[in-house]
Amino acid sequence: MLRPHQMNSVIITGSNNIQETVIKELHNLKILHIVEHSKNELADIGKPLESAAKLSEILVKVRALMAALGIKKEDNRFEIKKGSLEIESTTKKITQEVSINLDEFKKIEEQSTKNQAAKQELEILKSIDMPLESFTPYKTLAYFTGYINDINLLKEELAEITERFMFFDSIAKKSPFIVLFIDAKNKEQASNILNKHKFSPVNFANIGNLKGNASGNLKKLEEYTKKLQQKKDSIKKNLEKLSMEYQGFLIAADEFLDEQLEKAQAPLKFASTQSSFLIKGWIPAEELKNSIDRLNKASKNKIFIHFEPAKKDDKVPVKLKNPIFAKPFEFFIDLYSIPTYKEIDPTFFIFLTFPIFFGVMLGDIGYGALSILLFLVLKKKMPKAKNFFNILILASFVTILFGFLFGEFFGYEITHPIISRVHDMFTLLYIAIGIGIVHVNIGLAIGFINELKSHGLMKAIYEKASWFILQIGIALLALSYFGKILISPLIGAGFLGLSILMLFKGEGIKGIIELPSILTNIMSYVRLMAIGLSSVELAIVINESSKEFFHKGGFFVLIGVLILVIGHAINIMLGLLGSFLHSLRLHYVEFFSKFFHGGAKKYQPFGAKE
Amino acid sequence: MAADISTGLIAIGSGLAIGLSAIAAAMAESTIGAAAVGAMAEKEELFGKGLILTVIPETLVIFGLVIAILILNLAKGG
Repeated sequence: MLRPHQMNSVIITGSNNIQETVIKELHNLKILHIVEHSKNELADIGKPLESAAKLSEILVKVRALMAALGIKKEDNRFEIKKGSLEIESTTKKITQEVSINLDEFKKIEEQSTKNQAAKQELEILKSIDMPLESFTPYKTLAYFTGYINDINLLKEELAEITERFMFFDSIAKKSPFIVLFIDAKNKEQASNILNKHKFSPVNFANIGNLKGNASGNLKKLEEYTKKLQQKKDSIKKNLEKLSMEYQGFLIAADEFLDEQLEKAQAPLKFASTQSSFLIKGWIPAEELKNSIDRLNKASKNKIFIHFEPAKKDDKVPVKLKNPIFAKPFEFFIDLYSIPTYKEIDPTFFIFLTFPIFFGVMLGDIGYGALSILLFLVLKKKMPKAKNFFNILILASFVTILFGFLFGEFFGYEITHPIISRVHDMFTLLYIAIGIGIVHVNIGLAIGFINELKSHGLMKAIYEKASWFILQIGIALLALSYFGKILISPLIGAGFLGLSILMLFKGEGIKGIIELPSILTNIMSYVRLMAIGLSSVELAIVINESSKEFFHKGGFFVLIGVLILVIGHAINIMLGLLGSFLHSLRLHYVEFFSKFFHGGAKKYQPFGAKE
Repeated sequence: MAADISTGLIAIGSGLAIGLSAIAAAMAESTIGAAAVGAMAEKEELFGKGLILTVIPETLVIFGLVIAILILNLAKGG
């Protein structure tokens, strides 16, 4: 609690022929956080084990298969018995089966798109009674196909150049479609005239080999398309069957190879010379002895291990340490930033205050009970987000408690409230500000301790204790100004001036600029009351508007029920989102800014899965 | 509530307090939200921080709401 696990810096070194044994044992131990070595004049980074290239090659194949078959990673019980050899041969077999199907599928797709294009062209020609073989190149004839604005005008103008032309037309969609055959000699002239009439040509590229009339061909084409679709479906079924059959194997293979590859590539993080390797890393103090024993045993005492506690300026990876009930709240720390090794870990404080803030804002027996149910269901469905839902379940439980305090059940006052959120607005406002003062000062106190540890007493006093004095100064000044206590306002002003001087000494001009932040930070806690109030008012509006429908009776009762259900559902969603985000924000912005530095690396032992 | 002009003015004042502060917060949030989504497209882990940054200007509305309530209280007090 409050402090992360103690860490020891560890150096393991040995000769290259036992490197693989050491890697294997480290992978089993899942305890060493490896610090990556970067190349320097003393030692290069290690070379991956020989198996690495082969392993990654098979892994790529397995992943390609998974993508082609649409298989997603999930838990499964398939076991790989004979290692990477088995995977390689089986993968080859599956790849063959799959690629036959995929190639066929691709061909059909291509044919389908061609058919689709031909079909569109035939649709245009359907209403013109002409054999399709007419649309082939001629020596003495030229022809135009396309849309035009005015047929009659065109005919007149064409007649002026030559008599040797033939004309087919149909009204398609908006403008008429024409087919014009004309003596090849007059081609250019005709083209000029056509352009004058805003002729937009249509090219029939996809019906080259077809014969007979358009509608007959259209029917044939449709049948063909149907057949292709059937083939496509059967291939899809084949692929689905394959996917079902090999799903277990492929997922297991992916996991297996991933793990093997991690081991094979581990030397890339080590320092190495021609014949030896050196691993730097961190091990939690309580696991140290056991791990060293096991490593020595595995390597038959052929390695040398050096260890020492973390020094002051070391960049120590951080493994947070919290009691089991506060553990889920580490989620919020992960989301923000990991505290450094020397800092106080604020998880426990979040555990104390987050549910309370959430509860005050939502504060309704009915809403709390419903959201507990909702989160229990979601937790079952998404076991990976277990921590997140545990937080929300706890927060919802506190919501019910505050619901009793406020006497609210879906916006109705069922019990006599101890504090009513609607009527005692100002009482709640003062309480919220009170909570703010306490919370911000807890933050400052933690900041004081952090500074004390890292920079000594004077710095801590100048930077953090000055804020306490500032607050006392403001309080005294306000109280004496309003005549609540009988001292001279000068005393308050004195405190104020002193604190400003201290801040200036501690943080420079930045401290002075930050001065008003203490007030806005504390005022920010007013949201505890404001968000709750808006949630209650919305609930009351929903209840009132449904009540009118209930009075009318008959069919209207149904509408009333609908308003209640939909209205409260929306209000719960809004309330949950608002309460969650705002209580989180109060921690991240108002609370953390008083002490938190963060930016440390998370402790991630070699071999452990996330 | 007696519907005289002064009550009406108080109501308008209170409405302005919350309405204008809501507009201000919305403008701020839209800029931050767009930037946050952009950052998330680059790095998905930023979702948490983006979400928090996006709700930061909501403080404005809360102050607006408090002022609105204070103004309304004038009307009750007479």
